[in-house]
Amino acid sequence: MENRLLEVKGVDVLYGDIQAIWNVSIHVEEGTIVALVGSNGAGKTTLLRTISGIIRASKGEILFSGKPLNKLKAQEVVDMGVSHVPEGRRLFSNLTVLENLRLGGYLPRSRPLFNDSLERAYDLFPVLKNRKDQKAGSLSGGEQQMLAIGRALMAQPNLLMLDEPSLGLSPIFVRTIFELINTLNTQNVTILLVEQNINQALKIAHQAYVLKTGKIAMTGKGEELLADPEVQKAYIGERWRKH
Amino acid sequence: MWEYITFGLIVQLFVSGILFGTMYGIAAIGLSLIFGTMRIIFFAQGAMIVFFAYICYWFFTLLGIDPYLSLLLIIPLSLLLGVAFYYGLFKGAAALEDRVSSLLIAVGLIFLLENLMTVLWTADPRSIVTAYTSYVLRPWEINMPFTRLMALLIAVLSTAGVLLFLKKTLIGTAVRAASEDVVSTALMGINPNWVNAIAFAIGIGLTGIAGVTLATVYSFDPVYGFVFALKAMIALALGGFGNVVGALLGGILLGLIESLGSFFVGAGWNEAIAFVVFLLVLSFKPEGLFGRSVEKG
Repeated sequence: MENRLLEVKGVDVLYGDIQAIWNVSIHVEEGTIVALVGSNGAGKTTLLRTISGIIRASKGEILFSGKPLNKLKAQEVVDMGVSHVPEGRRLFSNLTVLENLRLGGYLPRSRPLFNDSLERAYDLFPVLKNRKDQKAGSLSGGEQQMLAIGRALMAQPNLLMLDEPSLGLSPIFVRTIFELINTLNTQNVTILLVEQNINQALKIAHQAYVLKTGKIAMTGKGEELLADPEVQKAYIGERWRKH
Repeated sequence: MWEYITFGLIVQLFVSGILFGTMYGIAAIGLSLIFGTMRIIFFAQGAMIVFFAYICYWFFTLLGIDPYLSLLLIIPLSLLLGVAFYYGLFKGAAALEDRVSSLLIAVGLIFLLENLMTVLWTADPRSIVTAYTSYVLRPWEINMPFTRLMALLIAVLSTAGVLLFLKKTLIGTAVRAASEDVVSTALMGINPNWVNAIAFAIGIGLTGIAGVTLATVYSFDPVYGFVFALKAMIALALGGFGNVVGALLGGILLGLIESLGSFFVGAGWNEAIAFVVFLLVLSFKPEGLFGRSVEKG
């Protein structure tokens, strides 16, 4: 287990004068699911956006397969093999489902594999095939999330970063999404997952980090953190224990 | 005057309006594409149209090239100039998402072009006179000037061309996607500069086409373009931002309004009517008459 696919070392991120991330270091082993949990505003989304090159770290280093990412632009980071499914999905809602998937496979290196990738996406999400000519904006929330993940997979990523994939979905879809994350993981996709649904996220994560006001507060195996009384008290509470 | 109104006259007003409005339409499509990806109104659109009208004039007077034939040179030239403009002038401001600077650069470009044109061609109005300039087709007693009819044809063909490009090619799809969400396109591996450059190329390419049709229909001078850009903006607002067919229809509608307005209200009221319609549309249907209602996911 000493094959670090992603390594974030001592990263600081500033939004104007406000520091959102303080000296954060995490690493993601190849083939695992790593969860990044914490309450709203803890900096989880900011960290993903920094890794994918949408914003810049002011300090520290981000390595992917040993190569530095922190000087690259977003479009170059995808080309390295890191796909980011952003918060709120950010589909092209006036484009059809198929057009969204086509753009997912835009990279020159993924274009020759387009038909295979498309078949794979349709296998994972048969509903997308049925709705391929429909506008993405007309899909239900759960279907949109499937499309967002399907679109990211079209680039053939080694690391898939998911930001709040279960947000706003019905309980059935939440279960589907978490099952899907497991399935993808067994197909050799390494996953970095940001979730508000801490209970579910910790259940499937091999490794997890708890972020608190921009700093790493705790780290450990998913199950360990799930059993930790402090985590239970601070983040999970009565609402989740019932399930 | 009412006793002069016949069915034939009404048809004539409509035909003139439609033929007149197509040029606003092509200019509006260019504005729409640049607005889509860069989120700025490219005010220099009008000045560019006049600039290409002069280029067409030069090809005609100096080299004896027929205006319509000169499209074969002007289209590639204007596409390249669009890419050069983006990389030379707007890329830096676009990277900083600095729309005020982009707008100022566009306004600076107007002054630069207007003065350049005045130096090169003087402030006297110019026009191109060919064998067919005053040729008028008269089907069913309706006057259809040949050059206006060609303007309509060229506008329809360019709209179809732009639509095909946007719908059928991967880079065209990327341009449409970027007009919805630039960050998301970057996450697909699409270089935002490339998409902006393509939008500029098409936008300036359309000014090349509009310039040729302008040169064949009207006489023009270096400052003629500014009002033209305003009209194109009205056409764009009528049609709905980010809607290619809507932009063409908006242009045609504006042409109709001007044609009917100048007959029934008086030619002097032309522009006033256009701007009143503009304000009414912005107040009551800001998404445009042919626009999709704005949906945000």
